[in-house]
Amino acid sequence: MALWVDKYRPRELSKLDYHKDQAENLRNLCKQSDFPHLMFYGPSGAGKKTRIMCLLREMYGSGVERLRSETMTFTTPSNRKVEVMTVSSNYHLEVNPSDAGMYDRTVVIDLIKQVAQTHQIEISGQREFKVIVISEGDELTKDAQHALRRTMEKYVATCRIIISVNSTSRIIPAIRSRCLGIRVAAPNETEIVSILQNTCKREGLALPVELAKRVVDKSERNLRRALLMLEAAKVAKAPFTANQEIPDLDWQVFLRETASQIISEQTPAKLEKIRERLYELLIQGVPPNLIFRGLVEQLVSNCDMSIKAKTLEFATEYEHRMQSGAKHIFHLEAFVAQFMNIYKKFLSELVMTDDF
Amino acid sequence: MSARKKTWVRCAFSEMNLTATPTPSETMPAKRTRSASNVSSFRVSRSRTPSINSMPTPIPDAELVDLTAMDDDQDADITGPPPEVKENWMESFEPATSDDLAVHPKKVGELRDWLRHCEAMRKKFPAQMCLLTGPTGAGKTATLRVLAKEFGYQLQEWINPVDCEVINALGDQNSGTSYVGSHLEAFKSFLLRASRYKSLLDSQNKRLLLVEDFPNVLLSDKEANFEELLNEYTAYGKSPLVFIVADAKSRGLNISYRLFPDQLKAKHRIEHISFNAIASTIMQKSIKTFCSVMQQPQNKATYKVPSTAVVDSIVVGAQGDIRNALINLHLSSLKGVPSMPTKQLNVSVAAKGRKKKMQSTLKSIGRDESITLMHALGRVLNPKFNEDKTMLHSPEEITEAFNTEPRNFVNFIHANYLPHFKEIDDVVVAINDLGLSDCMLNEYRDDTLSVMGLNVAIRGVMTANRWPVSGWMPVRGPKRIDIKPQATLAEQRLVGVGYAGISRTLYATEYCSLVKSIAGKLVETNSSQSTDSNQVF
Repeated sequence: MALWVDKYRPRELSKLDYHKDQAENLRNLCKQSDFPHLMFYGPSGAGKKTRIMCLLREMYGSGVERLRSETMTFTTPSNRKVEVMTVSSNYHLEVNPSDAGMYDRTVVIDLIKQVAQTHQIEISGQREFKVIVISEGDELTKDAQHALRRTMEKYVATCRIIISVNSTSRIIPAIRSRCLGIRVAAPNETEIVSILQNTCKREGLALPVELAKRVVDKSERNLRRALLMLEAAKVAKAPFTANQEIPDLDWQVFLRETASQIISEQTPAKLEKIRERLYELLIQGVPPNLIFRGLVEQLVSNCDMSIKAKTLEFATEYEHRMQSGAKHIFHLEAFVAQFMNIYKKFLSELVMTDDF
Repeated sequence: MSARKKTWVRCAFSEMNLTATPTPSETMPAKRTRSASNVSSFRVSRSRTPSINSMPTPIPDAELVDLTAMDDDQDADITGPPPEVKENWMESFEPATSDDLAVHPKKVGELRDWLRHCEAMRKKFPAQMCLLTGPTGAGKTATLRVLAKEFGYQLQEWINPVDCEVINALGDQNSGTSYVGSHLEAFKSFLLRASRYKSLLDSQNKRLLLVEDFPNVLLSDKEANFEELLNEYTAYGKSPLVFIVADAKSRGLNISYRLFPDQLKAKHRIEHISFNAIASTIMQKSIKTFCSVMQQPQNKATYKVPSTAVVDSIVVGAQGDIRNALINLHLSSLKGVPSMPTKQLNVSVAAKGRKKKMQSTLKSIGRDESITLMHALGRVLNPKFNEDKTMLHSPEEITEAFNTEPRNFVNFIHANYLPHFKEIDDVVVAINDLGLSDCMLNEYRDDTLSVMGLNVAIRGVMTANRWPVSGWMPVRGPKRIDIKPQATLAEQRLVGVGYAGISRTLYATEYCSLVKSIAGKLVETNSSQSTDSNQVF
């Protein structure tokens, strides 16, 4: 029993549903004997990981699909134990160093070096190198990125690195210039609709077009999210109807409620309650920049035209500070306080003009 | 060795010796020169004159044993000639009975209870343990000495030996190799031997072991296993063991925290008695008695009684440290020394609710005022102002006290500032500064920036609040954010082997809620299927 996302994930480059020209290019890339470091970039749920796996299969054959997951323990220079989960086959290793937080540098150095230093045992009919897949590369700290740069240079004979990132802007230029960048754009609406319908056909379900379109809208062109939503909707109500309810993501609902609470009352006491809610989101693991963005979107769409510009102005300022600071909550809270202040002033002015 | 000789001689002629007045120059021999192997204590006390009249013919060797006996100011009023105050005030004023102690009677009672408990368990479990903690000069050691005397214990104290080379030349072995003995071994043998065997010179059978001076190996070396040592002691030790630890401010230096974790205390049933700093009223009283001794005719030549202002400031400046108070008193009461300058403290306290009185402390000496985190937080969140609108405690003062841990302090401010604010526009100013300070603290390349950052945060919060909310608010600690993987096993299985490749944040944002609902349904259908099949069979 697997999720639809995994069950119907294309396994070969020729079977990809969209960006077919790009798939052709990737296949040509594999035909040559050598192969540069790659960097796949594009929004979440666009199919970066799918393409990486297809590429690996193209190169190594079906052996890459025999996956095993391992938990590895590393010791940082400060004697702290860090656990990182990895997924690997005989030919590749997939790791997410950002799970180690600020200790990702140790992970990059130890693990990647260890893999990169070992050679393939059987060379006949195989590539000479192994592949390391680093997901969420843009979450790596600067330190780790510099460490990565060194390993890329040093072990180029035995390993290739494929980095998957959302945005190249947070990757240091040194790494950017060492990789061949491949952009994976999010699929467009019609593509997602056709994928959803194909999936349903294979599951033996009928999917009304209206429902498919609504799922696409709600998923923000994120294919993974769309498929998961569809499956969750199916679980909730088995034969699809055009206007059935599509489940929301918990944290988005929570954020929406938070925003409406901010608009309902502007006092320090309320701010404290908002802080608790923000903490809850952070503890759940929702990244602070997503919280910030969601909050701004909700607040801006719910407030008067005259204060929209100011809100956005403050949002940019505090978001920038959040990137350079360490305590995300300070800046989230500062933005909320600032918005409360603007909104309160706006309301009191409104009352004044009404009086006259 | 001279000490030993002396004792023997004195022992033999103790009756005669008793009548002789002790020479003032006589010091305590061999007080702090005990090697580890030489475990028995040769504490020889000076003979006591005052009590001779009131006592029946003393047993000759009682003299030896009386290790805590000291000249005491209290005795002066009762019998015999008044005592002469010696150079060393610590000894001169050492309390002799539990009534003299400046420690709160409750704490004395606690320790007494423990000693009684030791008496009761003496046959079955002789190796009882106790841990005394408290700030310096709170009277921990003094209390123990007094009570040990009261219960008739011979106090045997471990003192870290000076390294001395042992020359390894046995019999026909020609080599003269030398080595330095292990401190840990020496400590172990002290614990075991001193508790079992009494010294030839002692008459009392009961011994009480005291460890105030912890061997450094225990603190610095992780290999040195303190727990093992205690295990051995509980198995083989034959007398009660007391550890005395002075409180330290930082955790790293705190012996009681590092060596005595809770589970160790529970395992060995270590009684933990924590002393408080001596209350200023009790301290005042004891200082008054000290002053009365100084007024005795034979002391008048050397000492004068300092003015009440000075005495008061000594009490304030000592902050509950009686040792510090005594030293200051000694210094200020010497004749020919100009009276010590005092500094006005700006806190005015209502003395017993009658009148306002300005407190002052000694200007040059006395303990530094240490300010606790809670205290400083109070000053930041409820800033007080003088009449001329200047701040009573400047932000710089508070910054200075915490510039070693700026991050922690800023986090504490953030966790607690909100309830003190009434208006949202004030909050904006405060949180703005906190955010700025966060960015500054994050800049690790420049040390001075972190202090500046702390200052910005403190100053911002202190000045921003125009309409402070008054009232009591509990202090809360900063929240830690530990992202825990939240997927249940069923959910993990559903996601499959790829679960390991999904980062926690990605899982939380994309998968979590949807997978939960899918997995929840699956479990339902599975269970209903299994019940169906049960019905079939």
